[in-house]
Amino acid sequence: MRKVFLDVKLKRCCYLMLRISAAIIMAKTANWLSRLFRKGKGSSLPGVVALRICPEILEKLAGQTKLGTIMVSGTNGKTTTNNMLAGILSSSGYRVVVNSIGANLIGGVTAAFIEKATLGGKVDCDYACLEVDEAFFPVISKKIKPGIVIVTNFFRDQLDRYGELDKTIKFVEDALKMIPEPKLVLNADDPLVAKIQINSGLPAFFYGLGENTGLSEKGGFRVREARFCPLCGERLSYSYYHYGQLGNFQCNKCGFHRPSGKVEACEAAASDGNFSFIIHYPGGSVPVNLPLGGLYNIYNALAAFSAGFLLERDPLKMSVYLKSYRPATGRMEEFNCPDKKVVLNLVKNPTGFGEGLTYLLSSAGPLDVLIAINDQAADGRDISWLWDVDFEMLEQIHGRINIFVCTGLRAQEMGVRLKYAGVPAEKIIVEPGYSNAVRRIMAGAAQHTYLLATYTALWPVEKELRKYVT
Amino acid sequence: MTGMIQVCYLYPDLLNLYGDRGNVLAFTARCRWRDLPVFIHQIRPGENVDFKEMDFLFLGGGSDREQGLMAEDLKSRTGELGDAIEEGLVVLAICGGYQLLGNYYLTGDGKVIPGLGLMNFYTQAGEKRMIGNVAVEIDLDGKKYKLAGFENHAGKTYLNNVAPLGRVLSGYGNNGEDGLEGARYKNVFCSYLHGPLLPKNPELTDYLISAALKRRGLPHLLEPLDDSLEAFAKEAILRRMRVN
Repeated sequence: MRKVFLDVKLKRCCYLMLRISAAIIMAKTANWLSRLFRKGKGSSLPGVVALRICPEILEKLAGQTKLGTIMVSGTNGKTTTNNMLAGILSSSGYRVVVNSIGANLIGGVTAAFIEKATLGGKVDCDYACLEVDEAFFPVISKKIKPGIVIVTNFFRDQLDRYGELDKTIKFVEDALKMIPEPKLVLNADDPLVAKIQINSGLPAFFYGLGENTGLSEKGGFRVREARFCPLCGERLSYSYYHYGQLGNFQCNKCGFHRPSGKVEACEAAASDGNFSFIIHYPGGSVPVNLPLGGLYNIYNALAAFSAGFLLERDPLKMSVYLKSYRPATGRMEEFNCPDKKVVLNLVKNPTGFGEGLTYLLSSAGPLDVLIAINDQAADGRDISWLWDVDFEMLEQIHGRINIFVCTGLRAQEMGVRLKYAGVPAEKIIVEPGYSNAVRRIMAGAAQHTYLLATYTALWPVEKELRKYVT
Repeated sequence: MTGMIQVCYLYPDLLNLYGDRGNVLAFTARCRWRDLPVFIHQIRPGENVDFKEMDFLFLGGGSDREQGLMAEDLKSRTGELGDAIEEGLVVLAICGGYQLLGNYYLTGDGKVIPGLGLMNFYTQAGEKRMIGNVAVEIDLDGKKYKLAGFENHAGKTYLNNVAPLGRVLSGYGNNGEDGLEGARYKNVFCSYLHGPLLPKNPELTDYLISAALKRRGLPHLLEPLDDSLEAFAKEAILRRMRVN
């Protein structure tokens, strides 16, 4: 009787190992085929294939991570934060599994492990750095228990997928309560993130950006998710804010306020698309030079630095690493072009788009701008959010923008948006095909070409761009 | 013309989901392009507004908590708003704002949330959220037009004794059952269409502007504008829904 039972157990075990191997082989083949046919770069396809064959593959592969898993969630900055942290860890000699190309649903996370797995299902890694979509955080954090969870910020993003922002945040809060003793790394400047500490009752390590008279916003129309206290509903008061709802907030009714950061950036200054600032951490401070534009990248660096600090990485070495950071595709990515500066940036929600436009305002000289808008599932089917982007701010620089080329599946809609933002009709060119659109923008006369694209439009735009630049 | 067109944008801080402020942008821009000056009153809860003095009122939707705040404030003004509507105030109400003008909202657990009762319809929570592109055929003074937009609502609205805004060509509309979309009473236009509705549907926008001028006894024949970009955008999405 006992022997039979053992036999069954052994068989089951062999069967599982077989399925894992089969799943990995199929996934790697799928990956190879999709590259061969140049389908999606950065695809989650191998993960999707593997999960079909062996649904428990993610737990089995991720379970082999030796030192710990760090998850990054939130609306904006996941990819950059996660890549920075993975870079900090691998530059210290650790072996790291990372979904570095922004594929952050369950298939993408699985694909990251498969890439590092042997055909027998062995994964040799010290850390896993995983960016996880907010809506998938509950599912993924159930399968892989993270030791550290970073939450970057919450902005309106693809509402048609989630219903509303409040619900998304609740998903994340509820899931955090199910994780045994997670260390939270939270953005102190975002009331919607800071409240996670209060609602979950978990200890948190906060990071933030100190007041800066030169970079912080002073007013005007901007999208602010949390104008009202997320705890009691009272209007929040701010002594300053950086962008969106990020800043020094205070609720005069219930007392909820910006927590003081363990890691804080001070004396931030921008020059020529770079930032320099000083990071104060418990026990010291270190100067940082970041080769990236966009105020949000300071936050990404702070988040990665905070997690690195918790993992006992040397602050000075982290600073050296950050100085050499190279952005992933379409994260303020600069291309080499002999006669002009070409920058490609991903946009996916009003706040990120607004930040991208602010960057345009800060640039000098004539500009050619391309905007690629798609409405596939990964972009969000509903493109109403374009009307929450403050294109009206471009009015200050209409004179220096030569042309706006609108492309992608919803190119026409983008053209209408610009028209109602007051852009002169003769500057708006609607060209749905990527090839023609990129050709027109690259033929533009300006010294500075800026391309903004939603998620699924990013790769085809980049592919066309590669014909002109390196 | 004499005086300015008075636009009332209710609760811009609370009700700004899904880019609905684009409706105010479109209404305003199309007036200004015709040299009709516009003044926008952004009204926050508790602030005074005389609806009879307004020419166009926009009421959007918000998330649950914000919608609750708006309902509370608007209830104290129901009488004045009702009088202004009877007397011809032009109103555009979208999604949550639309639901609020009706008799009540019946939640999933059987709770009745009273509406303003200014229009004869009711809404009840559905099991499935109705999300996607939508095309509607409407009739404006005997001429038929197609509207395109995007809907995202869980509430199913049923009209009692009030006209629909139009008939659904593709998508769900009021409830996904009777093929009707929105509601219309006097100069009140209600719809579930985000997108936002007015920028891509300039025929409706101009109809609203015209109705507002007419109510003031002003010349209401509008100078035509070049709408090729708007038509191009609408055509692209209607083609995708195969209703062009």
